[in-house]
Amino acid sequence: MTDAHDLSRRERFALSMQRAVSRVTSFFWIPASAFTMRFLLGYRIRNASRLRKRFRSLIRESDGPVLICANHLTMVDSALVAWALGGTWWSVFNFRWVPWNLPEVTNFASGGLAQLATWLTKCIPIRRGGRREEVSSALRRVEHLLSRGETALIFAEGGRSRTGRVEPDSVAHGMGRIAASVAGCKALCVYLRGDRQQSWSMLPVVGDSFYVDIDMFEPTSDSSGIRRSRDFARQIGERLAGMEEKYFARRK
Amino acid sequence: MSREEIFAKVVDIVRPFAKDKEALDQATMETNILEDLKVNSARLVDVILEFEDEFDIEVEDEDADAVNTIGDAVELIEAKVS
Repeated sequence: MTDAHDLSRRERFALSMQRAVSRVTSFFWIPASAFTMRFLLGYRIRNASRLRKRFRSLIRESDGPVLICANHLTMVDSALVAWALGGTWWSVFNFRWVPWNLPEVTNFASGGLAQLATWLTKCIPIRRGGRREEVSSALRRVEHLLSRGETALIFAEGGRSRTGRVEPDSVAHGMGRIAASVAGCKALCVYLRGDRQQSWSMLPVVGDSFYVDIDMFEPTSDSSGIRRSRDFARQIGERLAGMEEKYFARRK
Repeated sequence: MSREEIFAKVVDIVRPFAKDKEALDQATMETNILEDLKVNSARLVDVILEFEDEFDIEVEDEDADAVNTIGDAVELIEAKVS
């Protein structure tokens, strides 16, 4: 199973270099990112300490690769998820649990500075709906990283949900493909939503508080090939939809 | 099964997913499934699953990466059924 995501020496070197520079600079960008969210944008994670304790307990139990699969409503969801799960200093000193991200190229990696920022912050830009070889190359890099103890965050529907709700029928196949191709990979589902988040948007409302729920499981399938990846993606999508139902039931 | 028969079946399978039906009616082996026929990239997996059912084959994700054109699909299926 690991053969499928073996990378060339050059690709492996590029990823190692990116990780090393990102690691060194993380002492700046992780606190800066947390400071921006907490104090400039006024965001707050509800029950943060209980959530982080649970996250640490789950990853201790996992004993293998973990793919973080989240719902997606705003452009800063990846930063919010990383902050919600790890906090600031724990993330700095447990860098492997700061997830790699797959941002859409056109959103983040267009200019020189944005490109540098995405590179420094463990991002592998991807062009959704782009040439299949390019998409596949990005996925293989994520598979490679997971199989070597790193973690990655992928949004279940690829982009931000246009309905504002998790749509299990619209889940990204690539998510299932990654989970299916890394032996023993568990899916850590994260449902995150600001109290004032009605639908999808560029940013959450300034000063918003976030509900965050997490749940981990290992997808299974009796099928093989592309059907197995599809089954994995569906199971993750359904799990997230169930977490969303729980969220709305609580709000009633 | 001949290449022409596979081609015809592939075109039939792609039809419900193609937004540009006119382009599909004039499809050749070089027709790009996503760009020319305007099939949503997320639905390409469903198209390939239909190939699996129709031709009783199993396709790996890596095989599916090589499917850009109708011709690629025909060649993949030919290789799998032979």
